[in-house]
Amino acid sequence: MITSEQITLYIQNIPPTPEVVRQALMYVRAGDLPKAAKCAEDDPALKLYLRTLVNRPIYSFRNEVTDIAQIFGILGTATAQQILYSYLMNLLAPKEWSLFALSSHAFYDLQASLGRKWERILNHLKLHSRDNESAITLLPASIIVCDALFKDHLDEVKQLRSVKALDYNTILQRLTGSTLFDLCTQIAEKWEIPSTVSDIVQASSGANTSISGDTKILGQWMHLLLFYELSQSVYVSAGLNEFIDFQIEFVQDIYESFMQVVGYDESNG
Amino acid sequence: MRATVKGRVAIFSPQGFLDGNNAPAYLTIEDIKATEALNVDMLLVSLKKVIFFNKNGLDVFIKLLLSIRSQKHIAVGLCDYDHKKFTTINSFYGGSLNFSLFLTEKIAELFAPTNKGDSRTVLLYNEDPSQRSAMAIELFDYGHNPIIAQSKKEFDEKKKSPDLYYAIIEDTYLGLFGQKIATRVTGNAIIYTIANFLDAEIGNTFNIAYHNNSLNVGFRLFIFDAYKVVSMNVHALNFFTKLASSAAEYNATICFVGLTFEKTPVSFKNDLEDAGMLFFDNMDDILKNKELLQELGGSSAAASKQVRTLNKALVNELPHFIDATVSTIAMMTNAKASKESMSVQTLEVKNTQNQFASSIGFYGDLDGMIILVFPKDIAKKACELLIGEATDDEEAILDSLAEFVNIIGGRAKSLLGEKKHHVDITLPRTYHDVASLMEMAQNKKGVQVNLVFEGSSFIFFLTR
Repeated sequence: MITSEQITLYIQNIPPTPEVVRQALMYVRAGDLPKAAKCAEDDPALKLYLRTLVNRPIYSFRNEVTDIAQIFGILGTATAQQILYSYLMNLLAPKEWSLFALSSHAFYDLQASLGRKWERILNHLKLHSRDNESAITLLPASIIVCDALFKDHLDEVKQLRSVKALDYNTILQRLTGSTLFDLCTQIAEKWEIPSTVSDIVQASSGANTSISGDTKILGQWMHLLLFYELSQSVYVSAGLNEFIDFQIEFVQDIYESFMQVVGYDESNG
Repeated sequence: MRATVKGRVAIFSPQGFLDGNNAPAYLTIEDIKATEALNVDMLLVSLKKVIFFNKNGLDVFIKLLLSIRSQKHIAVGLCDYDHKKFTTINSFYGGSLNFSLFLTEKIAELFAPTNKGDSRTVLLYNEDPSQRSAMAIELFDYGHNPIIAQSKKEFDEKKKSPDLYYAIIEDTYLGLFGQKIATRVTGNAIIYTIANFLDAEIGNTFNIAYHNNSLNVGFRLFIFDAYKVVSMNVHALNFFTKLASSAAEYNATICFVGLTFEKTPVSFKNDLEDAGMLFFDNMDDILKNKELLQELGGSSAAASKQVRTLNKALVNELPHFIDATVSTIAMMTNAKASKESMSVQTLEVKNTQNQFASSIGFYGDLDGMIILVFPKDIAKKACELLIGEATDDEEAILDSLAEFVNIIGGRAKSLLGEKKHHVDITLPRTYHDVASLMEMAQNKKGVQVNLVFEGSSFIFFLTR
């Protein structure tokens, strides 16, 4: 079905970070948001992405925000870095989703919703840092990679899953030895995203027993956040609920706090 | 979301949160139709990966389960939860709980009307004596050996030795049960357990498709365990007479064990005997009498004197069956299997040592059987994707081999469906060795295709 060679080829074909984004990221890291905004102005696609994303309902701005400098100013350095990484992910996203029944707007919403809730979680954990905040942007890469690798094997996966409830991540790991999270790490390396970011995403698989400390805590919260989001009806309908294996034991001890932080109403529906 | 089917048990496995807002999204109209079309004895929803659920969320699945139960008379319920979830479900549904709850999937399988026939010793406790008795009766009917703890204290004491039991049954509840006739396989005989008053309803509760499949795949001895039958009417008599006629086509034997004629007219016995049915007082009269067992066809799965020949329709579709096999192996192993030779012959296995075999039957517009014979190491390799790791556990490999041929059967079914041939597939069978396969297949003529995979040969055999 899927081979290691195909994975290598897929990673090789990922384009490097566009120069404009690289520079904007550099200015954001240096805290110079006006220069970062000026840089972003030079890339029409990035400009459109920023305007579209920031004006999604999840950001709850009363009036449409169109000025890039204003957008960067509102976001602040940590969120600006997060959104620039999200843009990079978006470059990787397919125009037409094949495996998952997603639209580009649904994917934007997923990115935005993950980002907003992650911010609340970091506030709760008091673990705010630019890289911690950016870690959430790398997570959707696993969805993109999954769609790209499995899109030509829809019938095979359907047959396989008719006899055994295997998630895509497990199938990939058993076939090639690599998980979707390993591929996220490779993408992060290619885009020069710091390893602290990819370490948190790796931890969020819930499968790595050797992690500890803040990385483990962030991994637990990210794992539960992912399943919280993937349990929303739009993503259930898209087939995303079945893409990785939910590790209940991994998140059991943070469950109560999580429900409070995200404000989940247990009488939902 | 589609249910996963293992044996004759189908399970939905949602993950994460399950509430009234998102639950409808798990089941599209196509999913519901696909579930309705499943040929299973039990339909469950696993809560193993559900961290939160509320009643509105559960209700969406429960509604589907109950609708399918009313159509198909199968057992339905929830499984894979912990004590806290069990308490929550009970508090949601209270006295109106009319579906079953099984602590684990393994426990649920013990209550599946059609089981593989291994008799299991299980420890059982339920506070409610009527539940306790109902479970014990069901388990006993399915050929298991339930040890019933009469008090919590006795249960806790016995629980200290878990190794003595295949499963420890607690936090389990039998709702309105499926009412399908319990079926179990003992050696090469199939035993159906029937009870109470038999009337026209037996046509609904008896799984005729399973029975026909069993005939197709070579079973020749069918025993009705009728100890608990009080009486039967003329509709049930007609049903059994028809069953006897269809069995005669395959030279199969149908026996009644323990049936009394206090309230059933003795003339019914004469009619059934005329139709070819045999009557015995005790089960052991058959199962412990090797000579009789052999005579009745229960010593091997291949007592068929009427060898069914290959036909043109089946041979025409041979490429589809081979394609299904080769592509499944490619999917599971990322390696290509290639054809070495092909001929019409009886099954010939040159090297009978260290081989596993499996078979799956199909019936409908076409009927026949696919048999695969693998060297053990190739079988292991082919099943690694399903098992998840390299293992030498033969039971695990054979279980996965059954799933493997199930996939092949499913692929063949869809390939034939594209050509407007509608077929259904039987349950897969696996064989520890070539000898037990040959008992079933030795006289059958078919197309033998020798395939090569990673330097080792394996056999694909298509027959009727």
